[in-house]
Parts: sequence; structure tokens; C-alpha cells
Amino acid sequence: MSVAVAKSKPVRDEITRAGRGLDGLNLFVANIQTGFGPFIAVYLTTRGWTQTGIGLALSIGTITAMASQIPAGALVDAIRNKAVVACFSILAFAASALLLAIFPTALWVYAAEVLHGFSSCTLGPSTAAMSLIVVGPAVLGPRLGRNSRFASIGNGIGAALMGGCGYLISERAVFFLTAALTLPAIFSLLPLSQLRDPLVPPRQKRGKRQARSRVPMLGLLKNRGLVIFALCAMLFTLGNSAMLPLAGNTLAKESGNFASLFIAGCIIVPQIVVAAISPAIGELAEDRGRRWALMIGFSTLPVRGVLFALISNPIALVLIQGLDGIAGACLGILVPLVASDVAGRSGHYNLVMGVIGLTIGVGATVSTAISGRIADAFGAPITYLSLALFGLTALVLAVTAMPETRPPRPR
Amino acid sequence: MKASAATSRRAGGTSGGRAFIGVAGALALVLPGLLAFAARCPAAMMMVEDQPATNTAPAPTSNQEKPPTGTKVPELVQPLPPKDAASVLGKKVKGPNGEDLGMVVDVLLNPGGAPRAAVIDFGGFLGVGSRKIAIDWKALDFTSLARAGTVELGLDRAQIAAAPEYKPDATSGAAVVTTPPAPPPVDPDK
Repeated sequence: MSVAVAKSKPVRDEITRAGRGLDGLNLFVANIQTGFGPFIAVYLTTRGWTQTGIGLALSIGTITAMASQIPAGALVDAIRNKAVVACFSILAFAASALLLAIFPTALWVYAAEVLHGFSSCTLGPSTAAMSLIVVGPAVLGPRLGRNSRFASIGNGIGAALMGGCGYLISERAVFFLTAALTLPAIFSLLPLSQLRDPLVPPRQKRGKRQARSRVPMLGLLKNRGLVIFALCAMLFTLGNSAMLPLAGNTLAKESGNFASLFIAGCIIVPQIVVAAISPAIGELAEDRGRRWALMIGFSTLPVRGVLFALISNPIALVLIQGLDGIAGACLGILVPLVASDVAGRSGHYNLVMGVIGLTIGVGATVSTAISGRIADAFGAPITYLSLALFGLTALVLAVTAMPETRPPRPR
Repeated sequence: MKASAATSRRAGGTSGGRAFIGVAGALALVLPGLLAFAARCPAAMMMVEDQPATNTAPAPTSNQEKPPTGTKVPELVQPLPPKDAASVLGKKVKGPNGEDLGMVVDVLLNPGGAPRAAVIDFGGFLGVGSRKIAIDWKALDFTSLARAGTVELGLDRAQIAAAPEYKPDATSGAAVVTTPPAPPPVDPDK
């Protein structure tokens, strides 16, 4: 560790290589995750699955992901080499994609959903933990901004690749492509495989860290910053996650022959925005504070909801959807960042990530259910406004109750 | 997962990474074998879901290659040649110019068991933004179903886009889209 303090050339080289590894990891994992989205429903339909069967399979995936957030976080905390965790998670993705491609029958699809649900919960936190190890808590914000940039580039490329693959070859080929994309993701882990201790010096001595790690988990979970942030994130997701499907629905109705093109635009435009602004948001969270980034991100949702409610022009809808990129960038950076602030060096970083992940998952699930009900009863504009209201509540909560979690830095 | 992590921890700083890549490689090698074994597993032959059947033609709508063969064929079993019936769930729906419109996701039957409408999932990109619309059974042409696995519809996307979305649990029933010179709807009591 004394070597790290001096930051000799080999260490700097190692940091650079590890950084490139993280870039690649975020890029390819985002690529892979595109295949596991709503597209599974399309694929299973082509295999003669009924709507009930597909609904059940997707629910199994959602429930697994929610139930495993916190245990998976604790598991990642317990394993010191996070690259091993990431590697197993990616292998599980590969297995899941192959199961879906080769055996689209009930048992194996359920198995694939469980496998993917659990490993998503181990991969996210372990990627964030590796970032923390590589750059240290002091400059985590910019690093997470970079992660987020590469992830959104990966999402955009993934959507284009898989959309094209499904259209030109077959729905099944998408899952073989997904499985193939796990290879470069595992390759990206190579420079990260030796990570154990922070490459940059930690603020405390090793012995103190061991003593600190006896901070009780429950005490951590009562942390005001964590509780308010998790609540904010849940409310925001409650308003946010049904917005895109609803906009897609409006587009399908309004734009006839070009609906698919506009919906693709709605998926890809926010990713371009995230890629463009993420590093700036990361810097902002570090320089001006977490609250600023949070408020900027949350303020876009009410605006988006109201605009969606008023406007139905397809091109305008795609542009408004760009606001989702601002919110996505902010939340994507702040979740691991606030988790790092809260967990400090308690050794429960991934557990905290799991807690936030769970609340976001609950928000997303409830969002789709609620918005479906509202849309059936009152139509799309009222639904957009209701979702905007959830976003506004999240914003108000962030402004009034969210404490600044950024640790004080000696300058 | 836990065990291997423990091993790599014990292995120490330099060999830990190599150990983990070794484990990864081994898993990558074992995986296809496992999958091949699973292919022969009887559970893989499970039927996906119960399929809608009609009184007149019990279509073998499952996607499985082989129909379940009993030990002894009873006399009640009749042959059903491929040209007489074909699977329809999940089949692509083509528009008048051969464009890809969506796929058949459900079939609505009248009390007599005869198909009344097909529910079709239209549009969308990677599963986002697709809409389910009920299309009159008579507006669909099934002549190329057995041969090409597609169903033809004489409406283009713009015409379908105006149709209301199909809701399976709507109490007021569903609105069904028909082609302009549609024949009068079938009376279920006839």
C-alpha cells in the first residue's frame, strides 16, 4: 500500500488499464442486457408461447431480481475479488441467453429468468465496487460518469445490433448474439482480475478498517441519507419507468407505418444524451454536491410528463424522450455514488447498493401496474400527468429532505 | 460461487486472477455439455402452454417437433396431414405488400368453439411500444400458413394504427377490425 501512496508509474499504468477494463465491461454488459429486456416477450411469442405463459416467465424474472437484490449485495460484500463475481455473473448471462435460444420451453425459460435475475443483482454492485477500488472514493463521481457513458453507448449499440438481428435474421439469433457478446465482456475483466485493495490510498489504515467493518448493518440502513435517497429513487422510478412504454404506445397509434422507427428513436436518443452528459454530471456531483445532480435529474420527469400529455407529434415525442437521458445519467451515477457515501468503509457497500436496487425495482414494478390501470380508466394524458406527479413528489422530497452525502474533503 | 472465491482468495494476489480465469474457462467448457444433456432431458419436451382448440379441427398447435406418442395407438386417433391444419400462435402477419406487421398472439373463439378473431401484436421495437389488436378471423388469409408460416392481412399499418387496443379483461368486450368489404359477422347462435 505504501507503493500506492507514491503513485509510481506501474501503479498509474495499472489504474489506466483497469479503467479501460471498466469502460469495456460497462459497454459490453449494457450490450448484453439489451437482449434481456422486453424483447424476450417478442421472442417467446414467435415460439408459440401464450400471453399468460410469457407473463408468468417475465414475472419470475422480476421477482427473482427483487428478492435477490439484498442477498446478492451481501454476497458481493463477502467475496473480496469482485472480478470473480462479475465473471460468474456474465457467465450466467451467457448460460441464460443460450438456454433461451436453445430450449424455449417452460422449465428452461424459467431457469434462464432466475439465472439472469440473480446475476444482474450481483453484476451491478460488483462493477460499482470495482470502480470504487480502482479510483478510490475521492474521485468516484467522474469515474461513475464514465461508466454511465460507456453503458449508454453499449445500450445504444445493443439496441441497434439486436433490433437489426431480430429483423434481418431471426428472433432466436438475438439470443445467440447476446451469448456471444459475453466473451468481450469477460475479456474486459482481465485487467481487473488482480484487484484486491484500493489502488489509490484509502483514508484509513488497514487495521482501522477491520475495526470499522463491525458497523452494524441495521445502523447503516437507518442512515437518513440512504432512507431519503432510496425513497426518492423509488418515487422517481414509479413515475419514470412506465413513461417509455406509454410513449411507445402513443407512437404506435399516431405514426402508423413508421412507428417502429420512432420507438427505436425513443430508445436510442436518451442513450445518446446519457453518453454526452454523464461525465459532466459525475463532475458536478463531485464539485457541487450530490443534491444538485439529484435535483437536476428529478426535475426533468415532471417536465417530460406534462409535455407528453400535451404533445403527440412523433418527432416531438422522440425529442422529449431525450430528457429521460438527463434523468437516467443523474440516477445512474448517483445510486453507486450515494451508496459509497453512506457505506463509507463499513464493508457493506454492496448491501447498500442492494437496498437501493430493491426500492428502485419496487418502483418500476408498481409503475407499470399503476399506469396500466390509469391508462385504461382515464386515457394516456391523465396517465402522463399522474406519472409526472410522482416525479414532482420525488423532486420535492429531494429538495426538502435529502441531506448532502458527499464526504467532507480536505482541500 | 462462494467456494471458488475462497480458493482464489487463498491462492493470493498473483495467482488469484489466473485461478478465476481458469474457473471461467472450465465453466465455459462444461456449459455446452450441460446444455446437450438437458436437450435429452424429458422435461425439455414439456408442452409450453395449453393451446386453443376448436371443435371442428383439433389443430396440433404446439411447436414441438414430435407429437407425444403413446405405447399403443388407440383407434380414436386420426391422422391430421400438415396441409389440413397448422400452428398459428406466434406466426408472422404480413400486410398487402408483404410487409411484416406483427404476430398472432391469441385466438378468440365464439361459444361454438369457432375462431372469431385473432389477436395480433403490432409494431414495436425490441418489444417496446407494441399494441395488441383484434382482427376479424375472416379478414385473415391462412393459405400460406402451413407452407410459409405466415398469415396475410389486407390492411396496412396506417389502417391498423387507428384501431383500438385489445384488452383481454375489458368488460365491454373487444372491438374487432375487419377489412372494408367484410362479410357480416358470424352469428354464434346459428
